[in-house]
Parts: sequence; structure tokens; C-alpha cells
Amino acid sequence: MIKHQYEKLELIAFMGALCLFFSTIEYLFPKPFPFFRLGLANLPVLITIKLFPPGYVLLLVLLKVLGHGLINGTLASYVFLFSTAGSFSSAIVMLAAWHLCRNHISLVGVSVFGALASNAVQIFLSVTFIFGRSAWIIAPPFMTLGAASGVAVGLFAARFAEQSRWLATVRDYYAPS
Amino acid sequence: MRPRKPKPPNRLRQQLSASHLFLTGGLLLPAYLLQPSLSVRIGQVLLFSGLVYLAGKRIMWLYFAIMVASITFFNLLTPIGRVLVSIGPLQVTSVALRNGLMKGFTIVGLVFISLFSIRPDLRLPGKLGGLVARVFFYFERIIEGKKRIEARRLIGSIDDVLTELYVPGQQKSEAVVQQVSTTVLGYALMGTLIGLNWLLLFI
Repeated sequence: MIKHQYEKLELIAFMGALCLFFSTIEYLFPKPFPFFRLGLANLPVLITIKLFPPGYVLLLVLLKVLGHGLINGTLASYVFLFSTAGSFSSAIVMLAAWHLCRNHISLVGVSVFGALASNAVQIFLSVTFIFGRSAWIIAPPFMTLGAASGVAVGLFAARFAEQSRWLATVRDYYAPS
Repeated sequence: MRPRKPKPPNRLRQQLSASHLFLTGGLLLPAYLLQPSLSVRIGQVLLFSGLVYLAGKRIMWLYFAIMVASITFFNLLTPIGRVLVSIGPLQVTSVALRNGLMKGFTIVGLVFISLFSIRPDLRLPGKLGGLVARVFFYFERIIEGKKRIEARRLIGSIDDVLTELYVPGQQKSEAVVQQVSTTVLGYALMGTLIGLNWLLLFI
């Protein structure tokens, strides 16, 4: 059954709010470095990849970065540029991983791909616009931490997808198997 | 655990509408970026930090201090200009130091401009603006349920809140954004800020 576009957009808006919510929870976790982020806000994106076509997923990412920029007031700063580039590259790579290897990849794998893409783009931007070429030395530890955070978020997403009654209802309504 | 300090009140919100505040930030931006003097730029950053405080937001000073220090450090790794001092193998050169500080303070100032000039009730145009308003509508409701989320039963408690807030096919559109108008004092503040920052370019 094809649902009305309004309903789908409504769920995407709700998922956008969930991204903002998870990013507020993220501040509860200790950070090893000031620039490091766990990426919990990616959880709704990971879940949506399994439910909706790529266009809706990219719309969700746009809502996530705009909402974050408005709430934190970073919309007109380099933080927004970094967040947008990181989030979109991550979403594109996660979508590609999911659609190309659908039967051979778990949410953990998709999440690790996304985290690595996001970190690679953010390192490139910080070297190009902020720190200069000398900053390439931060790349190996940053990518390692990115992979670790990708595993953590992926494991949480997989557990949430398995245990959540709410997600089961949403899945049955929007993407019945 | 030490109790968190309460957030300062948002005094700019009482005087300026979200769109006028955004316009102020936008008009300040070129004057700030074109400023060639390092000392004036540091002064502008301090002024913007005051505005961030007036906007009711806290500044994580340590975060920004680390940011300026690290940007300056990475610039010093490529020596340019007269050697000012040598710290072990690191030569602190005049041009590299100035460039590093200028870049570091520029970035911090941009964040401060963004922090005081952008707030959640800024209405973006078109369908996308409507969707962003819906995101905030749901976000407020999820935040209301945040107190019920337990760390020991994380997924279960999040699930309870979500089940209560979003039932597929039963959503009603009721996002309302309360708009604030600009006062005479707000217009005066807007003019002074823009005028002062542009004037500093020519002094």
C-alpha cells in the first residue's frame, strides 16, 4: 500500500526531531577530545535507510543539519559547513552500502561506513580551511575513533531496531514486508 | 554532583525579532571578515561574546581557547617570518604566529556571530521552512518526555515516549511559532552594531 506523501513527510519530520533529541543525549557521554562526537544523531538516519527511499533519507539529513544549526545557533558558521558535509557524505555512503550489499551487511557495517565517510570529509575540510597541511597527523587517531563510534552507534541502532515496539508499528505501517 | 548554573535570560529576544537579528548577523559578517587588524578583530570577538551572553547562551571558553591554540600551533609548524622564540624544535615565527591567531580568532568570532544571531524561531521560507517548524514541534514534545527516560532501561523508556507521541497515520498539524517584534531599542542596537563594525574598517 502506498501511503500519502504527507504522512511520509510527517514521519521524516518526527525522525528529524529524534535526531535533535539524540544529539542532546549525546552530551551526556564523555568526549575523549573536544572535537569528537559519538554520532548518536545518526541513529534515526540509520533506521530510515531501511524504511524509505534515498530521497526521504537525504531530506531527513537536511532537516537534521538545519535543525541542529538553528537550535545551537551555528547555522552561519564553519560548524554548519562541517556538519552538513559530514552528514551528507555519511548518508550517501550509508545508502550506497545498504543498497549495494543489502543482504550481506548489518546496521553496524552501514554505521561504520557512514562514520568513516563523515570523519574523512571533516578531516579534509579542517586541513583545507582551518589547520593547514600539518594537521594530517590527526587523521589516523581521528579515523580510528570514528570507526569505534560507528560500531557503538551501529550496535545501539541494531538493538533498538530489534527491541522497539514503536519501530515495529512504524515499519508495519510504512514498509510492510 | 555540582548543580548546573541556570542559563542567562535571552535579552536580545525581548528587543529583536528572529529575522532582524539574523539580518544583523548577516550585515556584520562582511565587516568582520574584511577587518585587517588583529587587535580590532580580538575586540570584535569580545563584543560578539557579550552578545552571545545577551542572547542567553553560555560560551564554552575552554573549547574556544583550545581551538585558537591548536589552530595557531598548526600554523607555527610552517615557519614564516622573523624567529621570535624557539621552544625546543619549534620556532615561533612572527608571520606564522599572526596568521594562526588571525585565523583562530576569525573562526571563533564567526561561531559567536552565528550563536547570537540565529535562534530556533527563525522561520525559513517555503515548504522546507514548514517541515523545519514541524521538526521543532515534535522536538519540544520529545523533550517534555525526556524526564521519563531511564538510563537502566534506555531503549524501553525511549520506546514508551515515542509510542505515546507518534502513532502512524494519526498525526495532526498544529505547529505554531510565536513571533516577536523588534522594539525601538532593538532597532537602535541593530544600527549601532552594524554601524560600529563597518566604521572599524575605516579607522
